[in-house]
Order: sequence, then structure tokens, then C-alpha cells
Amino acid sequence: MADLEQDEQREQTEQSPALDSPLPGPTQTGRAVSIARLLHHECGLLLQLYKEKESFLSSYSPDGGRMVSPSPVPQEEASGEQQVERLHAALRQCLGLLHSVLLKEEEEWGEQEEDYETLKKNVRHRLEHLLLSTRGLLEGPDTTLEVTPDHQGTEEPDGAGGLFGLKVWTYRVLLELHHWADHAAETLHVFHMERGGAADL
Amino acid sequence: MPHLSVNPSSKPNCSTVWLISVLLGLLAVHTNANDVLTVPQQVSLSTNMDSQQLSISWLAGAATTFDLMILRTELNESVFYETVSVMVSQLSGRHEWNWTSVEPLQCTSLSIKIRSREGQSTSEWSNTEILQGSDLPSEEKCQMFPPDRVVPVGANTTFCCIVKEGKQFGTINYGNTVMNTTRLSRRSYATTVVNQGLSGSSGTNLVCYNSFKEIEIGAVVFVGYPPLPSDFLCETHDLTSAVCLWNERRNTNLYKTRGSRYMLNNRTFTLSWSRNPKKEYRVDHWEVNWTLVVVNPLGQYSLTDSAELSHRVTPVAPENLTSVAHATNATVLWQWKYDGYSSLALVCQVELTSQGYKTNHTFSGVGLRAVVLPDLYPYEDYSVQVRCGAQQNFWKWGSWSETMSFKTSSIVPEAPDMWVWMNKDYTGQVIWKPLTGRQSRGLMTGYEVTLWSPGESLQHTEILPPDTFAVPVNLTQMATASSDNMVMATVTAKNTEGVSLPASVLIPLRLTDADPRAVSQAVYTDSGFSLFWQSDVNTTCSYVIEWHNASCKWNCPVDWIKVAPGNTNVSIESANFQPGVRYNFSLYSSSSEAPELLQRWQGYMQELVPSSPVLSLLTTQEDSDILLTWGQIPLVSRRGFLLGYNIYISSGSQLTLLANLSDPGSRSYTVNGLSEGSYKFTVKAYTSAGEDTGATASIMLEPFTDWLILEILASLGVTALFLVIVTFLCYKKRKWVKKAFYPDIPEPKLPGDWSRSQAPLDVKPPHHSLVHMVERPEWDSSKEALVVIPEEDEDEDGQGIGDELVDTDEPTSLRYYNQVVDERPIRPRYPDSSDSSASSLDSARTDVTYTGIQTSGSSFVFQLDPQGSSEGHQPQADPSFCAGGGGGYRPQMQSRVPSDDTGPASPNPFPEPQAASGYKPQSSWQMDSPVDDGEGRSRASSLGSPTSIASTQFLLPDGEDHTEEKRQPSSSAATWLTNLLSSTKP
Repeated sequence: MADLEQDEQREQTEQSPALDSPLPGPTQTGRAVSIARLLHHECGLLLQLYKEKESFLSSYSPDGGRMVSPSPVPQEEASGEQQVERLHAALRQCLGLLHSVLLKEEEEWGEQEEDYETLKKNVRHRLEHLLLSTRGLLEGPDTTLEVTPDHQGTEEPDGAGGLFGLKVWTYRVLLELHHWADHAAETLHVFHMERGGAADL
Repeated sequence: MPHLSVNPSSKPNCSTVWLISVLLGLLAVHTNANDVLTVPQQVSLSTNMDSQQLSISWLAGAATTFDLMILRTELNESVFYETVSVMVSQLSGRHEWNWTSVEPLQCTSLSIKIRSREGQSTSEWSNTEILQGSDLPSEEKCQMFPPDRVVPVGANTTFCCIVKEGKQFGTINYGNTVMNTTRLSRRSYATTVVNQGLSGSSGTNLVCYNSFKEIEIGAVVFVGYPPLPSDFLCETHDLTSAVCLWNERRNTNLYKTRGSRYMLNNRTFTLSWSRNPKKEYRVDHWEVNWTLVVVNPLGQYSLTDSAELSHRVTPVAPENLTSVAHATNATVLWQWKYDGYSSLALVCQVELTSQGYKTNHTFSGVGLRAVVLPDLYPYEDYSVQVRCGAQQNFWKWGSWSETMSFKTSSIVPEAPDMWVWMNKDYTGQVIWKPLTGRQSRGLMTGYEVTLWSPGESLQHTEILPPDTFAVPVNLTQMATASSDNMVMATVTAKNTEGVSLPASVLIPLRLTDADPRAVSQAVYTDSGFSLFWQSDVNTTCSYVIEWHNASCKWNCPVDWIKVAPGNTNVSIESANFQPGVRYNFSLYSSSSEAPELLQRWQGYMQELVPSSPVLSLLTTQEDSDILLTWGQIPLVSRRGFLLGYNIYISSGSQLTLLANLSDPGSRSYTVNGLSEGSYKFTVKAYTSAGEDTGATASIMLEPFTDWLILEILASLGVTALFLVIVTFLCYKKRKWVKKAFYPDIPEPKLPGDWSRSQAPLDVKPPHHSLVHMVERPEWDSSKEALVVIPEEDEDEDGQGIGDELVDTDEPTSLRYYNQVVDERPIRPRYPDSSDSSASSLDSARTDVTYTGIQTSGSSFVFQLDPQGSSEGHQPQADPSFCAGGGGGYRPQMQSRVPSDDTGPASPNPFPEPQAASGYKPQSSWQMDSPVDDGEGRSRASSLGSPTSIASTQFLLPDGEDHTEEKRQPSSSAATWLTNLLSSTKP
């Protein structure tokens, strides 16, 4: 955990001047890719930790569709910026889901195991950081992107399912976060390549 | 039941009427009964799903006993069927009865019907009322009941799972445990978890799987405890508000929405979650009576407290502590947060910490906010903290204030603790102990050492830096220049504030080597070396005990302590004491005069085995003994008080204890009784801790030559003396000897013509005759002859035959045959006691009749040497000699055999003749001959042998005796002896 925090601090320190840059360059995109990959890694850890905590989830396979569904853009026609913009929207919804998880878990369980709580907070901060990065990649004179959580269109837990339903829903949110973090790393890497960045980040 | 009977013998008309009457009567009775037992009407159901309680009410008139039947509607299984007594509710006018289901009421539909009962009579069943479950086909989704249950630890809970329409039930898992299930309906299955243990913070999961092992639905159960608060009380800090405190004696394991809720004097409040079991809640105004109620889903607990405000004052911690420090005291000041404290009588505790030690000082006063701390050490760092309580109606101490530090100011140092070590001459050293931080009382700048002779005003001063604690002194000049007997050594310490008072010791200038004090042994205990001494009640001097390593002799690093007057014992402990080191302790009187040595001790903190063995172990042979000598072990190597020595002799790797010398002053040991050989000795000194490794020395024990020479000389002397005595006796008895061993042999007398006579020739032999048998190797029987040698031909020197036996008897008449009489084979002749010729020996060619052979007794004794008789190679009783006259005088024959005899020396030598011939001496002599045994030897051994024959017989040589001998069986030496003795008879 200490290493992750140090990485985060270092990235934030390096990111600040890049965000102020008017045109995104390979350095900015490369950093965004790194943040996305780090987020993906941490989401994997959080997912693993939650499955260990709620062991029944190891046999659970969600049958529903995606919880996060940004406005679709035809893949073949979408430019790199559009792909990133769509990714940014998805990440905002992910942040909204994560906020809901944090809130509902706090309401129901209070403070849980320390490592689980710490990892949840790290993922939240990493996701917020990634949103700032993607906004920095897309922001121009005519575009203004939000980095706040987006709760619209996201699936909330079914109250009828009780606390068991809440656990399943939380697991689905973590799965969604893991998925979109992976998608972010891929999308941003493609974007980074388009901007002339090195392939071997 | 009425009993009907028909009697066929009765009259038909009467019987028919009677029967009808009875039937009508029975019908009337039955009709009346149905009228009394009312069928329950308007059955109504209500449920409490959380408590799984079903309330049933109905109308049934005055009936009080009912049969209740509850069935699982779908499977028509009876869940409950009992007769119950239910009274009419005064409130509703209906019969009401509650039933608690084991399973949640949603699990499946239940059918309920009731009938009245009175004794054995029952009414009709009421209409069946159905409590709809959640497993109706219309509700297709999967469900689990109860969804989120909170239960106490140890409870048993039944859960049910309603699978989704169209799915098949699989299993129900509680945590990771697969549970046993009961089917309640087509889609509903139940399981009961018994004796539930504490759940995790997010509860325990109960998961229902379908037949494909997919999760259908689940529920979470929380297992915890009801609240259990304790130690509830309320107090005030600001003299206005109240702070109520209590402890959660047990973690309920229930949090957030399921956690505890609180009410204080009916005012509900919440507390932020905390793991700390100590809880507190603040109320703005004091109330005399307090009631705390703690509630959670599993129960509630209430506590009360009651007190006046003035009895529950707990002051807050003093704030903003400051100090004003001096050399030996300091003033500590603080402030109070609340103004109300200015009129409050307070008692305050000041905790002073210095060098790790804490001391408490208590002060009191109204509105106390400053105290003076006395008896502080100068130039010392202190830290202080303060807490207070109400002086009146003391309730408890308030919280400690923050810690505040200060340092006292410095003053001149204390006088150093000094001592003097003097060597055997006028050199020595003045030493003093370093001043501790508290003794220095400031920053040390140095020491000043002064030596002065009071009478002569001689003075020598030396300034030393603060890290010096000894200075060498040489009083030789002062001793010669001063007429005083004393020199005073003075030491003062200096710091930034000034110079200390002087410390001084008088040094006597007239040194003496005499040490009148005996040395005692000091014993080390857990508290150190315990020293005791006698005290003179009249003296009031103090004492100084000095100690140092006993192996040190020059400018030793000594240590010392000063003992107050009146003490007679002290325990000396020092971190510098080492095991195995001998320490000298000296007790001095300390007065205005020079210190006087009163007593001395030596001791070890811990005795060890000597680190080195004895020195110079030597072995010396003294006669047949071995003297071991050694030198003493150096003091530094002894490492304990020597108790003695063990002397070992080593054989291989084994050490055998020879002696234990318990005198540690022993330096030698003599080993006695050892035979010649090589020896190795080991000497080990030992202390109370054991033996050292030992010193070893070897020695080769030589034979004691002086004694050997003496023994040889003594043996020779005894032998010579014996010979002298024998010679003397022989000389004195020479006549007897002559007579016994060399009797005169008379010349043979031959009267008349005896050669032609055929009769036996009676010859009276001369007194002594000597017969020599001449024999040559080429002896021929035709040349056989007997030669009578005159007596005067004898060799008087004992050579030749002169040494032979001499017959000392009187001459006897011999009958000689003048010629060889016949050629008859030799026949044995045995001694005849009546005839003098009984012992004559037959020769193959000559018959010789002995009239007597007289032999001295001594000669016989010699002949009868048992050795000779036992020698196998010298048969003593060869019968051939008894029979053959030819062998009768073999000794002479043998004696004549030259050394170069080759002819007659046949490979089959003659058997020894002595047994038959009665001539033992040759044989006996032969025994001593060093030549080899056998025939050749026999013959050779005859050469030069002393041979003496005292005989008057003529002996004929026998060349064929061996043939005769072969014919003769052997005989014993006894036979030979008997023959011989017989022949010697007169």
C-alpha cells in the first residue's frame, strides 16, 4: 500500500504540469495509460479481496449486461478523441457506482477490515486521478468535461434483495470497475500510440 | 355410544315400538349435542413475519376447547394439530390464539381449520383459511426467508429458499457448510442452522443454489449479543455540565443499523462507532438522577446513577505550565480553563521526574495555580506534570497536564572522595572518584591536588583537567627534606561556579614493610563481599575500606568506600569484580591522623579452577622411589584459594589418583613401591571450583644398581664363606675323607698255582685292589683280558680312575676263574643274600664272581641321585646288565673310549649299564656332563670322569653285551640298587 501511495504521489507530481499543457502529447497520454494500468491492477486486487471476504462470490457469475453504458460510438468511425471521451463518460459512471458502494457499505457495515477499506479508497482516488488525466487529454477550447461521479443510468442495488443483494451488487460494481479500468488502459494506449507515443510503456 | 340389542324372542309389535322409541331418543340426544358444539365461524388470520407468529381468531360462542389443524397447503402435510383451550377475548369478543411457526411464514402456504370440542364431542371443521406463502406460482422469482435476520449467539434459525419457477433446487449453504434441507412445497425448501456462532462484520451468508450449482438467492444473518453496559456514572469538569461514562463490557458484534441505540434520561442519542469500549456522552446541565438505556435488536440494558454535582467534580488538566527554577528549588505555575475553579478548593499532585526517577508532591489550596518544589539538585534537569482534584468531596483525580521541563541552576561542586595508594617506597598515587552530575553541581572545569608538609611549609600543587582522577606522587624529596612524619594530600574540584571544599588524606612518611595484620578470607554473597570487624566502642572514627586486585603490586587501581563510625560490617559490591580474581580488602581507620590499617581480607567473587597447572613439575628417582616436585602456581593463575593437589599416575589415557595432598603448601610427593618401567605422573591443583588441567612429567624407573652390586657381593661373600668352611671341615676331617673317598687298595695276593685249577678259585683279595679294564675300540673277544693294576699305579690326584668309588669294606675272598669258562649266553643273576657272588656280573665270555663290592655309603647316596634315576636317557635298570657279565663293568670301558672314538661307537649305542652293573657314579657324573645324551655322549662323558672302583673282582670287557641286553627286559633302578646292596654284604 505504501508503494502505491508513493506511486500516486509521484504521478500526481508529474501530472500537474501536463494538465496545464494546451495540447496533449505523448507524455500526457503515456501517464494516462500508466494510471489506467495501475487502476486496473488495484481493481483486480480489490476484487480479489472482496471475493476472499465474501467467499460465495467465487461461484457467482453475473448474467446481466454492463452496469456502465456510455453512449455508444461506432467503433469504426470513432476517432481517438471520441473513444477517449466515451471512456471518460464510462469512468464517471464507474466513479458514481464506486461512490454508491462506499456509501452503502458504510451505512450497512460501518468500517470494515483495514486493508479492504484502504484499497477501496485507493481505487477511488486512482479513478478520480484517471478522470483528471482523460479530461486533460480531451479538454480544448470548446470542450469542458466533468470529473464528478455520474449516477445517471447506473444500476442501483435492489432493495428487495436485502443485504445479500447489496453484496452481489457490490461485487458487480467491482467487476465493472475492473472491466473499465482494463478498457481504459487499452483505449488510452491506442490513443497514446496515435499521438506518437512509444508502444512499450 | 348407545348400545342397541334385538331380542328375537320378544313380541314383534312391542319390540318394534320399543326399538323405534330408542332410536328416536338417540336421535334427539345427538341433535341436542350438535346444537351445543358450535362450528367456529369467521376464522381470521394475521401474521407477524419477523416473529413468524400467526394469530388466529374466530367466533365460536361459548366453546372453550378447540381442535386446531395447520397444514402445509401444497403438500397437505400437518404442521400443527392439537386441542387447545381458548377463552373469548373480552376486548374483541372473539377467540384468539397465536402460533409461532418454526419456518418463516412466507416459506409456503398454510391451511388452518378449527373445530369445537367438548369432551369427545366435536363440531364440524370450520372453513379452511389459507395463509398464502411466497411460493405461489404467480411469484416466479426466487426468494429466501428470513432475508436479514439478527439472532443471538447460540440460537437456532430456520431458513427457507423458494427457487425460481422452472428451476430445480440444489443446496443451501450456511457460510461454507452445505446444510440438510426439508422440502416444504414444490419450490420451497427449508434448513435449520443450530447453535449459531458469531458472524463477521458483514454477517454470515446463507446461499441457495439451484441444481446447476448457480446462486439462486441468498440471505445474510447477523449473530451477536444483546448490549451489556456497565460502570455508568456522570461527573462534571466545568462545574456546570455533565459527562456520563460507561463501559461496553461485551462487544455485541452488531454495528450500524443493527448496532446499539442509547437513551439517557429518555433522550435518544447516537455515538460514533468506535472500537473503544469506554463510552461517554455529554449533557449540558447537571441532573441528580441519570438513567441510561442501551438497546439493540437482541435486547436492551439499563443503568442508573445518582449524585450531586459537587460530589462529582473531576477537574480538567492544568494548562500552560511554566516554572521559575533556582539551584535547589523551583516554582511551577499553571492556568485553569474554567473561571469557576478560582473558588474551588483543590488538591494538586505534582509529579517530578529526574534521571528516570519520579517523585510526587501534593499541594492544596483554593483555586491553586502555583506551587514551590523544594530540595532539588543543582544543575539538574527536571520534568513536571500536574493534576488536581476537588479538595472537598474528593471524587477522582483530573487528567494530568502536559509535561513541562526545567533545569535548576549550578553552584560549587561537592568535595571529591579521595584516597591515596602508596607503594613500598615513597611513590604512590593520589586518586579520587569522579564527581557525579549531582556532585559536580555545574560544569566541571578541573581538579587541584596539593601535597604539603604542615611543619615545613613545603607545598606542591598541581592543576588537573576534569577528566583526571589520579595523579602519581613521589614523596622521596619531601621525606628527606621534611622532619615531619606526615604529608597531607588535598584534592579540590572546580566548576564554573567555583572551588569545592577540600578533601584530604594524611600520608605517613615513615613507611614500614611490617604488616601486622593477619589476612582473613572474605566471602562473596549476593550482596557482595561481606566484611566484619571488631569496633572499639571508644573510638568514633569512620572507616575506609580499600580493595584492589591482589596480583597487583605497583600503583594499583584501587577502589574504596567510606564507612560511617559505629559500623562493624559492610558489603562491598562493585561492577568491576571479576570471577577468578583475588581481591585484597583493607580496613583503615579514618581520623584526623593518618589512616591506620586495622584489618585485611582476601576473597574471590567466584572461585574458578586454576588457569594454569603447577610450574616446574620434576620427577626424580630416589632409590626405587620417585620424587615429584613442583613449583607453586602464580597468584594470577590460581583463580581461587588452593585447597591442595591431586597426584595421578597415568596409564594410557586413564588417570589413577595416587594421592590427595590437602596441604596447599605441598611441593613434593614421593611415590613408593614402583617396579622398573616408564611412568607418567600428573599433578593437579584444585580449588573449590575443581582441578586445573594438570602438569605431567614422565620418568623411566631404572634398576637400583647399588643394591644389585651389594646383593652380588653379599652372595659372593656367603659363597666364599661356605667354601672356606667346607674346606676347613674337609681339612679337619681329611683323614675321614681320605678313608671315605680314597681308601688304600691292597695289592692282590696270588698264593699258589691257581691258573690250572678247575675249581673255583678262592682268592682273598688284598685289602685294596684296583682293577683296570683295558679296552680298545678294536676290541676282540680273543684278546679279552683282565689286567690287575697294582694299587700303587693309582693316580692319587684323582685323575682317571683314582676318582672312582672306593670300596672301603674289608677285603673279601674272590673266586676267580682262571680263564674264560664258556661261551654261554649271559643269564641273569640275581643277588643272593647268602652268597657273596650273588651280585657278580656275567660276561658273555667271562664269569666274574664278586665276593663283595663294598661301597661307601656316601657314594651310594651320590649314586642314588634321583635325577640319575629319573633320567630317561640313562636307564637305571637295564636287565641286560643284570644278565650279562660283559656289561658288568662298563664304566671302565666307557672311560677308555677315546674322544676320537669312531669304530665301536655304533649308531645304536649301549644302553646305560648302571641299573644292572651297580655302577651308578659314572652315570651320575654323566648327568652333569654338558655333552649330549645318547650313547656317544655316554662314552664321551666317561672321558676323564672320576672313576674309582673299590673292588677285588676282575671285570671282563663285554663286546656283545648289547645283544644280551636286548634279551633282557628292563628293570628298575630299585632292582639295581637291591643288587648292589646285596653284593656289598659281607
